[in-house]
Amino acid sequence: MTMPIPGSEAFSSRPVDPDELARSLPTSLKVHTVTQEQVDALDPLTYEVVRHRLWSVTDEMGEALKRMSGSPIVTDANDFDFAISDELGQEVQVGLYNTMLVGAVDLAIYWTLRNRADNPGIESGDMFLCNDPWVGGGLHQNDVMVYQPVFHDGELFAWTSAIAHQPDLGGVGLGSFSPAAQDVFSESLPTPPVKVVRGGQLQRDVADLWVRRSRVPMLVGLDLRAKIGANNVGGERLAALIAQYGADTVKAVMKRMMSDAEHRLRDKLAALPDGSWSATGYQDQSHEGDRGLHKITVTTTKTGDHLTFDFTGTDPQAGVINCTYAGMRGGVMLALLPILANDIPWSAGGLMRCFDLVTEEGTLNNATFPAAVGRGPIGPAWLTGSLIAETLSQMLDRDLELGRNVQATCCGTWDTAVIAGLDERGEQPAPFLSIMMEPMAGGYGARPHADGIDTGGLFCIPMGRVPDVEMTEFLYPLLTLWRREVPDSGGPGRHRGGLGASLAFTPHGTSIPMGLVLASNGKAVAQNTGLSGGHPGNSGLDVVARQSRIASLLAAGTMPSSLEEVSDSLEPGQNYASSYLAPGEVFAMTWQGGGGYGDPLTRDPEAVARDVQEEKITEAAAKSVYGVVLGDGSVDTAATRAERSRLRNARRDRSRIVGETRGTVDLASTKRIDDNLVEVGSDVACRHCGEVLGDTGDGPLALAVYDGAPTDAGPQIIATAADYVDAPVVFRQYCCPSCWTALSSAVVPADHPDAATTLGRLTVTAG
Amino acid sequence: MAYVIGVDVGGTFTDAVLDDDAGTVLAAKSPSTPPDYSRGVLDVLALLAEQLGKSLPEMLAETHHIAHGTTSSLNALVMGNVPPVGFLTTKGHRDSIFIMNVEGRYLGRSPHELQHVLGQSKDHALLPKRHALEVTERIDRDGTVVVGLDEEQARAAIRSLVADGVQAIAVSLLWSFRNPVHERRLRELIAQEAPGLFVALSSEVSPRIREFARNATTIMSTQIGPGLRDYLGALESSLRENGLTGPLLVMQSNGGAVAAKEAPAAAISTVGSVLTGGVVGSVALGRQLGHRNIISTDVGGTTFLAGLVVDGEPVRDTTTVINHHPINVPTLRVDAIGSGGGAIAWLDAGGNLRIGPRSAQAVPGPACYGNGGTEPTNTDANLVLGILPEKGLLGGRKPLSLDLARQAIDTQIAKPLGLSVEEAAAAIYTVQNAQTGDLLRKTVVEAGHDPREFVLYAFGGAGPAHCAGYAAEVGCDTVVVPLGPVASAFSAFGLASSDIVLAAELSDPTVVPFDPQRAERNFAELEQQVREGLQRQGVTFEKVELFREIDMRYSMQLAEVTAPVANGPLGTAEIEAAAAAFEKRYAELFGKDAGFREAGIQAITFRVRAVGVLPFSPELPEVPAAQGDATPFATRPVQLDARLGYVDTPVYDYRELRAGHVLAGPAIVEVPTTTVVVPDGTTGTVDQLGNLTIRRSA
Repeated sequence: MTMPIPGSEAFSSRPVDPDELARSLPTSLKVHTVTQEQVDALDPLTYEVVRHRLWSVTDEMGEALKRMSGSPIVTDANDFDFAISDELGQEVQVGLYNTMLVGAVDLAIYWTLRNRADNPGIESGDMFLCNDPWVGGGLHQNDVMVYQPVFHDGELFAWTSAIAHQPDLGGVGLGSFSPAAQDVFSESLPTPPVKVVRGGQLQRDVADLWVRRSRVPMLVGLDLRAKIGANNVGGERLAALIAQYGADTVKAVMKRMMSDAEHRLRDKLAALPDGSWSATGYQDQSHEGDRGLHKITVTTTKTGDHLTFDFTGTDPQAGVINCTYAGMRGGVMLALLPILANDIPWSAGGLMRCFDLVTEEGTLNNATFPAAVGRGPIGPAWLTGSLIAETLSQMLDRDLELGRNVQATCCGTWDTAVIAGLDERGEQPAPFLSIMMEPMAGGYGARPHADGIDTGGLFCIPMGRVPDVEMTEFLYPLLTLWRREVPDSGGPGRHRGGLGASLAFTPHGTSIPMGLVLASNGKAVAQNTGLSGGHPGNSGLDVVARQSRIASLLAAGTMPSSLEEVSDSLEPGQNYASSYLAPGEVFAMTWQGGGGYGDPLTRDPEAVARDVQEEKITEAAAKSVYGVVLGDGSVDTAATRAERSRLRNARRDRSRIVGETRGTVDLASTKRIDDNLVEVGSDVACRHCGEVLGDTGDGPLALAVYDGAPTDAGPQIIATAADYVDAPVVFRQYCCPSCWTALSSAVVPADHPDAATTLGRLTVTAG
Repeated sequence: MAYVIGVDVGGTFTDAVLDDDAGTVLAAKSPSTPPDYSRGVLDVLALLAEQLGKSLPEMLAETHHIAHGTTSSLNALVMGNVPPVGFLTTKGHRDSIFIMNVEGRYLGRSPHELQHVLGQSKDHALLPKRHALEVTERIDRDGTVVVGLDEEQARAAIRSLVADGVQAIAVSLLWSFRNPVHERRLRELIAQEAPGLFVALSSEVSPRIREFARNATTIMSTQIGPGLRDYLGALESSLRENGLTGPLLVMQSNGGAVAAKEAPAAAISTVGSVLTGGVVGSVALGRQLGHRNIISTDVGGTTFLAGLVVDGEPVRDTTTVINHHPINVPTLRVDAIGSGGGAIAWLDAGGNLRIGPRSAQAVPGPACYGNGGTEPTNTDANLVLGILPEKGLLGGRKPLSLDLARQAIDTQIAKPLGLSVEEAAAAIYTVQNAQTGDLLRKTVVEAGHDPREFVLYAFGGAGPAHCAGYAAEVGCDTVVVPLGPVASAFSAFGLASSDIVLAAELSDPTVVPFDPQRAERNFAELEQQVREGLQRQGVTFEKVELFREIDMRYSMQLAEVTAPVANGPLGTAEIEAAAAAFEKRYAELFGKDAGFREAGIQAITFRVRAVGVLPFSPELPEVPAAQGDATPFATRPVQLDARLGYVDTPVYDYRELRAGHVLAGPAIVEVPTTTVVVPDGTTGTVDQLGNLTIRRSA
């Protein structure tokens, strides 16, 4: 853990009250705004026409950015975003790309208004650049925001912004990522807001200062121009819109878009029962050499039409797995936007009024300077988002209609592998450096009404894509042995989690070992949590096959399809490692699928048979996890009934019972809690057998509890926890102590909080 | 030979246009007849013959060729109504078509659907996994065989597919475009195991780098090939029985036609045929009117199609999206940007007025059709505003129910918003025009152009009522509504005016500059392919034009952009010129200085497009000059601008319009299938071909 640096707190931006912010501005900065009366006076026609035009302006900014960028992280992986904000920075319309960035944009604008209005001033023709994740604008230093104050008639009217991930901005590690970093000084230097365009002119000195830090200065220079270009598009089109409809009308529409989004979210929340839901998740290992488990915990409380996300109890910042406040807020947005606002325009400024964050300084997702935060978005912020999604899903699962947006956790991280070496296929050998982009094809979580999407992508970058094998092999000296979906990798459940996938390659066209840097988590513990008794999805696994037989196998006319064929010396890659891959060796990575929903023993046997036929699961898993016996590919009904009964008995035999059940109730009139539990008056009962497990108060439920080996969760647990962490890891399952239906199934550290007092309940006791 | 005929088979209507190359142009319209669309084709041809005063055999006997566009293949793909097809691919890479590069989850979805991530799925896999089998083989990027084809294992895979009842097999192996030896050998093995089975090789259908799109293209082509073969075979024989001796041609997405017997082998190239007719028609009409830059808008009951013509040439694309898959087929760029006249007006959860993207479809259709629709559409608003007449359009189409239209708007929009029905209808009309403008702008800007430099053409049943409005939104100052004989069958006119276009391509990724001989070799091979292809068409061409191009990219950037290459011998200068053309076009598309040229330029795909120019170039005939002013046949109150309210507006019958007539807005022109709106502040002028040109009044 790092010691705080006095003076650094001035760079920590937090949400502000807009009125207070407006009052704090110097008189030299005139600000355009409208009254509530002007907002109320908008007619529906003008509102809809201008609203759509603002969408179109934002969209055009994004197109400009995407097309002008030179970075495959932008053009292929869509790791970028853009926004239009009002005069005080509140986000009116945001892009659909990296949704975590939405939580960071306004923070940087607030900070700029507070700290740059006097000196050097905020003026027409200016653009600022920022990559300080404490200030905001991005989640780690590689996220660089360029943003512009838009003036009309001498008044600050709005802000446009464009953010993109830069491939390298210096620091000790390739790509500005160092798996061994102890603090931010080993990473790229955070740059607080600096005026990079003044009076419409790119400031050559500032631009040079900026690109000088990078290993790929030309690319960073190009992306700087792309972001300036996108802001220019936004500024020009906003000016045209103002010319057509008048500044007051356009501003009134902007304000109403945010209040419309706010009120629609509030209405949705108000219709749900008040309550608290909690979730706890882990990053295994914090940096190269660490063997710890690091927890983020959240309690989401809904009161009336408002949410509070309380992260109290989250572990202290550690190693490289931290993010700033902006990262935590970005994590919240990655879950909130698609789950609660799928049918509400993404006027994020309005949506963000509906929640508060409670957090302790110096923790994993609210790290204090000078913590290393390079892995912020793909480690802690992502985990934050997964946990928020888990609590929101528990909240929504009570409502059948809103429950359509319930989703077990998706692939919980980005499995990072960076390769660098010498391409000797051309006339002149050429150095290369690349991040393997295939792990973009993670699995989505299962839902109450549907299986998760197989290799559906990443929840935080909905429009990511993976490159074709041919394009990768054209660019880099590799031969891809396989790129395939992994059967059984989706979390088992009544609805199955989406499959993750696997990639294996060997150097091809290079005679020297290539560097291989690894960074990931979710191997020792499951990050792709199931819901309502659904099991977690697969663990990730990166393996280097040393002393491999690949050359002789290929020469003999065979193409291996498993690592076991390739080598007897399989070395699991640590989560944070600086390694190498030599010619004749094979590297294989398997990344996460999604969690399951509901007890797999309640899955429709026909769906299990279909999954076997479509190779989503193996026949062995059909029997061992789903209790479905197939004969000639079709369901053997009698044998399935017997097998499922046997598996339920096994649950009975291995579990210990806590508490006492209270007999059965009539299930004619119940209120849904989730896939298994219902409320009957003040009782909580099992929906399947009617047994009353407790009451809706805060006492513990009567439950059957089992702690076993992680592999009891199913064949998707492919990594061995002891290879990564010292703490014991278990498969923990809670069942109904009467019919033995699974109510919760997780792969967690043995000291993971007990769920007996929280499962299915609206209130949470302390601890 | 006297005639050329274009036949456009749509989902609802089959349109035909006949040109005698001597100044006569006729059009006819008849209902489409699914599932056997050929009946509708014969029906509409009979109507043309009747207009000529001839029998169908007499007319067909004098027909030089028929150019035919069909939506049936596209429908089959979108509806999944295709026979079981097998797929053979490289071991380890079968799942390319299931992983879909992730983008299969969201490609082709509207902005509204994109935001609803949890509403998306990948439930549209091309085929079940048991029909996708791997063969042991591997070729690397240089075309070197790393692992030879395991023929025994391949035979077993083929036998298993055949035993499972597949009707055709698609073969697509990694790097097959660099070295097709294994794909070709697989075709031989299939022929031995299952003689006569329809087979398509990716190295022939789509020899382009990036295996996902190549796999999908080859599979889809295989899925529709046999059906297209059967359909065209049956259609051609009934046309032959009825006296046709000239060729039957099929329109392709590339804007040109191909002989019917050649179409099934490259079936995928025909799927966009019904979309492109309007753009080809716009090119032909633009040539007559002297318009070089055209935005073509074809608005039907359920779709709004936008195409572009720049400098006299349609804007092309190398890839299209079908059923959420990227498909490699050289195509005219046509964007479906809206839901046409049937777009539904609704209030969202915040009580805000929204239009589309949901459409009332053909059934039940707008509320005013009286077929049970209760949701208000654009068409209902237009009826309330007086833009559409209650009695139905000219030509005796069904009357519309003003009461039902008013009721739908009143209950769903007006009452909740506290507006009158008329105000609500005006809001729907204005919002629709403004949003169409936004989407149209997106199409033009993303193609790298400024809409203000374009003339806008509008046709289809629902376009001319709105075009002056959306043209003003994007800043086009001239709007042309084709009237005259082809007013209601403009796409069929486009088909009649098309030439034969064949394209051949080959990916040969390399770094620029490269040995010009490499390009020479590639182009020579491709030119031989297209010349042989042209010879197989069975048509005599007036001339043959060849166009060479290379898709290039900056090595760090995703977007490939097509650059023209000179014909004739290639040297370093020609390659440099192509690279310069690429850079110029890249800057147009993505902005000045957007290219990262320091990273280098790569040439990816070489392509040759051959145009076999047919000895017919249909032109719209001149119409008689006006004698005095145009006389409206009626006047009715119409509201085009909420600020002006209802204004008594003259209504003209398009048949009475003559060259030189000037219609001061506000005015309405009725056509059998549409109405044209000339708003206040604009003037409509009838040109020498009978088209109405709308401009802002001086």
